[in-house]
Amino acid sequence: MLAQLTISGLAQGAIYALIALSLTVVYRATTIVNFGHGDFVMTGAFVVYILVILAGVPYIGAAFLAIAILFALGIAISRGFIDPIKAGPHIGFAMMSISVGYVLRGSARTLWGREVLPMPPVFDIEPIFIGDLVITGDALFIGAIVSVLLAAFFLIFYKTSIGTVIQAVYQSERGATLIGINVRSFHEMMWGVGLAMGAMAGILIAPISLLHPDMGASFLIRGFAAMTLGGFGSLGGAVLGGLLLGVSEQLFGAYVNSSLMDITAYLIIVAVLVIRPAGLFGRTIAVRM
Amino acid sequence: MDPLLKLEGLTVHFSGLKALTDVSFDTHAGEVRAVIGPNGAGKTTLFNAISGYVQPTAGAVHFKGDPIHGLSPHEISSKGVRRTFQNGGLFPELTALENILAGLHTQIDGSFLGIILGTRAAREAERAGVARARKLLDMMDLGFLADQHVKDLSGGQQRMVEIVRTLATEPPLLLLDEPFVGLSPPMRIRMMEIIRKLAGEEGIGILLIEHAIDLVMSSSDIIIVLSSGQKIAEGKPEEVRENHEVLEAYLGYA
Amino acid sequence: MNNTETPMPPKETSISRAHRLFYLIPVMALAIPFVANEYLQFMTNMILVYSVVTVGFNVIIGNLGQLAFANTAFFGIGAYTAAILMVYAGFPFVLAVVAAALIGGLGGFLASVTALRGIRLYYLAIITLAFGELMRWVYLHADGVTKGSDGLQMPKPDFFGISMNNETVKFYVFLLIAVLLIKATSNLMRSRIGRAFVAIRDNEAATASLGIHTARYIILAFVWSGAVVGVAGSMFAALTERVFPESFSLTEVIVHFAMVLVGGTGSIIGSVIGAITLTALPEYFRQFPGMEELFFGIIIVCVLLFLPKGLVSLLQRVSPIFIERFYRD
Repeated sequence: MLAQLTISGLAQGAIYALIALSLTVVYRATTIVNFGHGDFVMTGAFVVYILVILAGVPYIGAAFLAIAILFALGIAISRGFIDPIKAGPHIGFAMMSISVGYVLRGSARTLWGREVLPMPPVFDIEPIFIGDLVITGDALFIGAIVSVLLAAFFLIFYKTSIGTVIQAVYQSERGATLIGINVRSFHEMMWGVGLAMGAMAGILIAPISLLHPDMGASFLIRGFAAMTLGGFGSLGGAVLGGLLLGVSEQLFGAYVNSSLMDITAYLIIVAVLVIRPAGLFGRTIAVRM
Repeated sequence: MDPLLKLEGLTVHFSGLKALTDVSFDTHAGEVRAVIGPNGAGKTTLFNAISGYVQPTAGAVHFKGDPIHGLSPHEISSKGVRRTFQNGGLFPELTALENILAGLHTQIDGSFLGIILGTRAAREAERAGVARARKLLDMMDLGFLADQHVKDLSGGQQRMVEIVRTLATEPPLLLLDEPFVGLSPPMRIRMMEIIRKLAGEEGIGILLIEHAIDLVMSSSDIIIVLSSGQKIAEGKPEEVRENHEVLEAYLGYA
Repeated sequence: MNNTETPMPPKETSISRAHRLFYLIPVMALAIPFVANEYLQFMTNMILVYSVVTVGFNVIIGNLGQLAFANTAFFGIGAYTAAILMVYAGFPFVLAVVAAALIGGLGGFLASVTALRGIRLYYLAIITLAFGELMRWVYLHADGVTKGSDGLQMPKPDFFGISMNNETVKFYVFLLIAVLLIKATSNLMRSRIGRAFVAIRDNEAATASLGIHTARYIILAFVWSGAVVGVAGSMFAALTERVFPESFSLTEVIVHFAMVLVGGTGSIIGSVIGAITLTALPEYFRQFPGMEELFFGIIIVCVLLFLPKGLVSLLQRVSPIFIERFYRD
């Protein structure tokens, strides 16, 4: 039972890891926490739904299109909404990102009314049986894709010259400007990347979840919980936090109380910020006043 | 005379960076001491360690005999160690008057309940504070900008308002973080006069950071030279000026 | 006191005298029930409720300058506290309001207590978000008491023996409460406490250097906001007479944000303007799913891009009497 729960927890957690990682990418690049990110993930899922169900595009094609669309959207948001207010107070960015998220959520709800939308199963992978354990086709698919994505991400980040550039800007924007990096384009790119990664999470969720416009909120809080647990700003921490969160939800839900599954994320946030605000891998974020 | 501020072996090491190593010196009331050194010498870290914004790794800081190392910034400030900030310690969206009033915070009476109910006592205490703030501004000939937002003032005016605000707290010890930066030459002379007056007439102990040696030559009693986190010289301006190590530290960075 | 020594600039004194004109507004408002029908009075009551909400919320968002999502939590805490006490313990309205203020203030304390350990900005925002959602989970799951999503039906509130059974009685009671709370908040902001809030917003390090314990003032701002918005919640409960968890959802969050931003952050006058301008809309939009979020989201984006200081900034250009200082003369 414990092992079974862990497996499902890891599959769920893989998605949280992706969401947390995409949040962290934008945060590290721009010091902005995108409070609308959950709604962007939701948008990715909805775009896939529209393309597959209403336009008949095969799932793979829809996935790539959705990623491209969200990437472009990220750049547009950075250029059109974030850049113009960059001289203002930090809470302005948060409110802007929330509001854009709400616009997307409202649009989705306007188009779909009050229904939840099921997507027909996309992949027909046979579950694997290991002893008593059942690993469903969905879990296998998600686990595999996310592993590949994460591997690709960290490879690019740590092993390529693009990754080095990103690390450089993370460390010192002024230094980066001095060596000729266009920081503004960099910000836009990173918003695009962040949203594209969020779209990937949405795309993976779409086939296994009922889609409704409020999905975003729960993704957002899971992303935050994962980031907080792993250490705000830590890329590896975001991934680890996501996986741990997924497993915790399953365990709490099964061993303590099923209704606790919804609020595990909140409880983790409160617990971490009270006990050890830096999380597992974060630097101290507490202010000395 | 007992030292006002006493540093013993003050050390601040961040992971991988030795910002300050074993720095010791005293400051006395009515005396102006300047801490100079090339960029990266650890001057700002020194101030931050004394005023509590950075936790010392080792060593002790005593103010009027009481240990203050390890306390938080507001606690150290309450004891009487006040400071200015290099890049603006003012509140940009507030007016000059409101900034001074913030400095008078601990001196304005009025309980929470009195304030929200608008009792006569609370209102009187507030008015007294406002009158005092206006007077302080007038004394520095800054009364005319009392109602202007500080972000709209010139650099020199802002610096002056910050000094007035710090003085409003009636500090026995004043840490001035690069008080001359960005000031025009006539304003610099005025600043030097103010500094000397505060020490001489008001008996305030002043410790200031500056990296231009010439500015501190005439305004300071004692000069302390830091380089790479360590104290390499301490003495009267004339002595320090002749010091080989000091010259090397500065010229070495030329 | 020292008025003869320091001549006060004439402009500022006449402005503070002009501020007394604002008292005319509630006086004139007394006439509203005589000229408005039942539905308009209901709307006016709703505006009064939201005026208190925005004034309370603005203390955190505008004055303290911290991002916080706990506002709907305080709103709900106040509403449920008042409703539960009135339903199960037969509390009269005034006591229910006081209880809502106390528990709301406690909520403010809990939402912000981590500030003592140095939690700020985004982390504080996230923890307030968690707090808000936890509270909503409680409303839904403590359904023995709150009746969950069915809503908690309230009796007609009792105000010192007068039954608040129509919009007119509610109006006068709400007007009284709103005036008292707005005045108290104004007093608070024009004191050393209010100055500490905005000082923290502008430069927390410098504020600490003046001997001010910044974490304590952050918590104080949250407690005040929680208490005020809690009272607004109790008014809301009395107005709608049935309290649902859905009224305190994340959609409500954006309505509160929009009102504060449209009116003007950091301004009490702005808060009221925002409430007056936008209150009618949530009711109107509720019929079309999604329109509320779409509309309020677009409003906030437009305000942030084109009028970041809100409508009150336009009024301030017309006359300096709309400028709010953080001291009393």
